[in-house]
Amino acid sequence: MPDHRRLLTLLMVAAVIWSVASAGWGGPVFHTGGAAVLGEIASALFPPELSPSFLGLALAATWQTLVFAVAGITLAIVLGLPLGVIASGAVFGPGRSSAVAIAAARFFLAAVRSIHELVWAVLFVAAFGLSSLTAILALTLPYAGILGRIYADLLNSVPQEPLQALRVSGASPFRVFLYGRLPMALPDAVGYTFYRFECAIRSAAIMSFVGIRGLGFEIQLSLNDLLFGQVWTLILFLLALVLVVDRWSSKVRRSMMS
Amino acid sequence: MSFSRASFYGFLLLAALSWAYLLLGENSGLDEFSSSKTWSNAAGFIQELAGVKSQAKPAFLNIDRWVDTGRLAYQTLIMSVLAMGMAGMAVLATFLPGARNVGNGDLGGAYSPSWSLLYYLLRVIFAVTRAVPELVWALLLVFFFSPGILAGAVALAIHNYGVLGKLSSEVVENLDPAPAKALRTAGASNLQMLLYGIIPQALPHFMTYLLYRWEVVIRTTVVVGFVSAGGLGRELRLSLSFFHYTDVAQIIICYLILVLAVDLAAAWLRRLARFE
Repeated sequence: MPDHRRLLTLLMVAAVIWSVASAGWGGPVFHTGGAAVLGEIASALFPPELSPSFLGLALAATWQTLVFAVAGITLAIVLGLPLGVIASGAVFGPGRSSAVAIAAARFFLAAVRSIHELVWAVLFVAAFGLSSLTAILALTLPYAGILGRIYADLLNSVPQEPLQALRVSGASPFRVFLYGRLPMALPDAVGYTFYRFECAIRSAAIMSFVGIRGLGFEIQLSLNDLLFGQVWTLILFLLALVLVVDRWSSKVRRSMMS
Repeated sequence: MSFSRASFYGFLLLAALSWAYLLLGENSGLDEFSSSKTWSNAAGFIQELAGVKSQAKPAFLNIDRWVDTGRLAYQTLIMSVLAMGMAGMAVLATFLPGARNVGNGDLGGAYSPSWSLLYYLLRVIFAVTRAVPELVWALLLVFFFSPGILAGAVALAIHNYGVLGKLSSEVVENLDPAPAKALRTAGASNLQMLLYGIIPQALPHFMTYLLYRWEVVIRTTVVVGFVSAGGLGRELRLSLSFFHYTDVAQIIICYLILVLAVDLAAAWLRRLARFE
């Protein structure tokens, strides 16, 4: 076993050397005047833009980003939970039709999570036009794919003894699921969903790229006007939002464990 | 009422408010999605992706296009590995001081003010780099980096440094402290304690996270390429804005192959090292 780990290390080091060697170092790394701009960006943090009107705008943008993240993650849970349960195979008896259902659910979850939410977004905007629902749909699909897969994994990795005890006492597969697997998998599932919610906030912010309002949208506007102080303020609001969700998540997990 | 139950109701309330805000607000999309015109437009878009409406030969039947796109996919792969290399090396250098228990004496050593200060500093850096998405880092970086793979790789590396740094430091905080304390009791120095008590336990977790993030990064390379002008992302954006829809379809196919290949490679590497 240690030899295999050494091989892994070797492969990783080789990959990094290969990537550095073939990155194409033909041109200059920084463009002319780049260093000056870097200095300008850094000094704009001290202090960032703190005028009341801009703080109001940043707060509104934070709310818009939060709204898209919440809408996207709720729809992703609604879609990912039943698909994850089907993909785990925990509620079915043996049989060909259940094997087909499991394979279909796994394929769908893998397919939708292969594509980044913003790539979904540019495709959906081309297909359906730009609207809030288009962006939410783009956010939902990959998140449902990843949540469904994790739910399936968690449902399958619960300890087997309590399930066996339920089965021996005559519980149907559905009841074994409801009173055995589900409660045991719940704390980790909630923790992971919260982590994804935090990721959804970032994803909602970059939906600005297709024209959805929020923190990313305002960051792009400020960058276009070279107002780096405003960019820092918006980044600090994004940081605060992410940290609040992070804190909330760890408090919920601790309260569920006790 | 327990905190988790209150949180559940709080989240439901937040979800209801969010959906109400979006669906009652302007340009919600409800009208569009309930009109048949939108759906026939979408069907038309899919037909254009498949190239059935155009006279020209679709891009995905053209060997030369596959060679060109294959080269871009190769560049995209380089971008992802470069990003993982930079992020991984930076994390390896900083994840130990980023763990609270390394500096504060929980592992049997003395409390060190400078290590504790370093801990807080690193935690702030992890939080900031993690909170800002890759695409926003890329938007900032193009102000001083020459456009290309490198700018995209650095943007990906900065965000993933924060993600991996936080995860790896938390691994160290949650480790079994017994081996480290035993080493300390046996007279090991700080360095020996870290080298033999902490790193062997933490490294497999770090490798697992690194491979897992690589799967995420390969999906994101395309998005970063939208702005940093490298690899498949740039080509996808150009093809979309020129309405070259069969090119779009071909790039998406290429992207999917790349994602699948990286998922399989990461799974193979994990099995190789028996991390799962």
